[in-house]
Amino acid sequence: MKAVFRLARLSFVAALREKETLFWFVLFPLLLLSILTLVFGQLGQEGKMNFRVALADLDRGPSGRGQFAAVVEEVFLSLSVPPGPGKEPLFTVRQPAPGEDERQFILEQTEAVRLGRVAVLIVIPEGFSAAALAALSGSGPPALLGVYGSRGDAASGMAATIVDQVAARLNRELLTVAGLYRSEEATAVRTEWVGDTGAPVAYVDFLLPGMVLMGFFVAGLFSVSGTILFSRDMKILRRYWVTPLRVLQYFGGFSLGYLAMCVLQFALLVLVGRFGFGASVTFAQPLAVVYLVLGAVTFLALGFLVASLAKTAQSGMAIANLVNMPVMFLSGLFFPVASLPLFLRVIVLVSPLNYVAEGLRFSLGTGQLTVPLTLTLLVPLGWIGLSVLVVVRRLRWDVAR
Amino acid sequence: MVDKRGPLLAVRDLRKSYGSVQAVDGVSFAVSRGSVFTLLGPNGAGKTTTLEILEGIREADSGEIEMLGNRVRRVTPAMKQRMGVLLQEGGFEPYLKVREILHLFASFFERSRPVDDVLAEVSLEDKAGALVRHLSGGQRQRLALGAALVNDPDLVFLDEPTTGLDPQARRNIWAIVERLKEGGKTVVLTTHYMEEAEALSDDVCIMDHGRVIAHGTPRELTAQLGQDTWIEFDTPDLEPEAWTGFPGEAQRDGSTTTVRTPDLVQTLDSLLRWSREKGVPLRNMTVRQPNLEDVFLSLTGRRLRE
Repeated sequence: MKAVFRLARLSFVAALREKETLFWFVLFPLLLLSILTLVFGQLGQEGKMNFRVALADLDRGPSGRGQFAAVVEEVFLSLSVPPGPGKEPLFTVRQPAPGEDERQFILEQTEAVRLGRVAVLIVIPEGFSAAALAALSGSGPPALLGVYGSRGDAASGMAATIVDQVAARLNRELLTVAGLYRSEEATAVRTEWVGDTGAPVAYVDFLLPGMVLMGFFVAGLFSVSGTILFSRDMKILRRYWVTPLRVLQYFGGFSLGYLAMCVLQFALLVLVGRFGFGASVTFAQPLAVVYLVLGAVTFLALGFLVASLAKTAQSGMAIANLVNMPVMFLSGLFFPVASLPLFLRVIVLVSPLNYVAEGLRFSLGTGQLTVPLTLTLLVPLGWIGLSVLVVVRRLRWDVAR
Repeated sequence: MVDKRGPLLAVRDLRKSYGSVQAVDGVSFAVSRGSVFTLLGPNGAGKTTTLEILEGIREADSGEIEMLGNRVRRVTPAMKQRMGVLLQEGGFEPYLKVREILHLFASFFERSRPVDDVLAEVSLEDKAGALVRHLSGGQRQRLALGAALVNDPDLVFLDEPTTGLDPQARRNIWAIVERLKEGGKTVVLTTHYMEEAEALSDDVCIMDHGRVIAHGTPRELTAQLGQDTWIEFDTPDLEPEAWTGFPGEAQRDGSTTTVRTPDLVQTLDSLLRWSREKGVPLRNMTVRQPNLEDVFLSLTGRRLRE
């Protein structure tokens, strides 16, 4: 075992000394976290982003639509008008088509929210106008406006916050118009997270788990394959094979070194996320640890898989690049991936990063599952299995003669 | 210092081919304990393939290996515990320090020497804290030798240990090999440098085209050429007819001509007369006793470094 631990320690030390590895392993994820948080953390501001919103009005008074309900509806529809030429409106509002069953619409839109295709569903409940009137006259509690959001979806969280702000403003307007200067409210928003009841997710909390996994992924794909192939090409490995060191010992030591780098990278990201950007997400949960380890091991296996398929370090880097770009950007690490064209969905469907990211976010309470939980474990495990098969059959530990 | 208790290594009828190329073609030899045994031959003679089979990197197609008291087809990890190998080509992780590399290699063995002793043996004490990437070629080769000796091996394989090194670095490596021999280690060496084989070897096996073409001590091998003296000189390009009337039998290799003679005075006299008559200048003329290069030349008609 001393050989395994010595190899682990020295591969960790060598990686820390190599500027390029250090940049990709440590600095790059930190930079990306900072840039993305600073740029996209402000997305909730008016005019900067467009949210898809569904609006259902169930308030039918005896004489047709409830008056207050109509006002609320108008307010939200007005937000779907672009604020200026060339600018995006804040909301793109979907409503039931004439004659469409409202309750069926609500069911469909709830599902759309759950899948992240619609940011929030706003429901004006039956009796909303009457309740608001009663509240205005001081004889009842505020009328409740239902908002259905997806707890794990950053866009959903932001949209729900905006709806809340809109409702508060509406209150002030209604009370002013009614000539009442009371502290009680006429309407209130009750946000309901579809299938959950947590608080909206801050963008940095959405981003941080993604950054952690991206760090593992890049390290596994590039650093693991690159180091193995470089060591083979430079005949560093050959020097080992003329000693009693066995392949499994080398593999164990090298892998431990990589996992140590992952731990370091993880710790740095969490520290910067927490103290630099106020992230509050807590990783110290059994399921989250499972996904972190699963992610690190899956990407270690992918690195070995790339090394098995490449003839030289150079071709290995080409393969890694080919895999890296689509997988990383389509795995919902940086942005909530809602609806993608079919051909891109195929990549999302097979990408282990996608499943690990979804599982990790779910375990942290910053994301929704769009696939069964077992799949988030089985797909990465499948990739590990596939990699092991290919590595055992194809990885050449010595240069071809 | 050769121990007579029998060979530490013996191979019989070793064969290895790559496709249609027969790299090793029925090689047999035995290496006595405590001796320096050299495989000498030009590039492509099959020396490295033979050594790689013995180091455990490759498996022979056929043949017998008896090494460190075991008769095997392929070298086992237990045998590797007692072996030290300096590869012809092999790198080290560039971002590790010299001392770290030696500690790493020491961890691969059940038994190892103190790293400081190894550093002293290969004269790298002052470079112990240097990264591999900052070492010179000679220093790297000494580090490689240190890594090969870290387990205090009984049997040491050195594959072309001085190729590409400057004369001073080469002398340093020779000194280490001589100390190994004094310490009773058995060394198997490959080289295509005739001087190296002559300076270090107790026994020499000359290989060409995958076969052993001569075997013996350096003295025995050169004695095969009799008591002849060798005269060597360079000439400008000559027309074939210019050589008519040349005294004695000449072997020409490019601009260099070698004449072998049992009667030095008589041949020299004739040679100088021929030179004057033909108007051919004899440049860089040397008169010497035969060496291993001449043995190879007489056996194959070619020089070692062709």
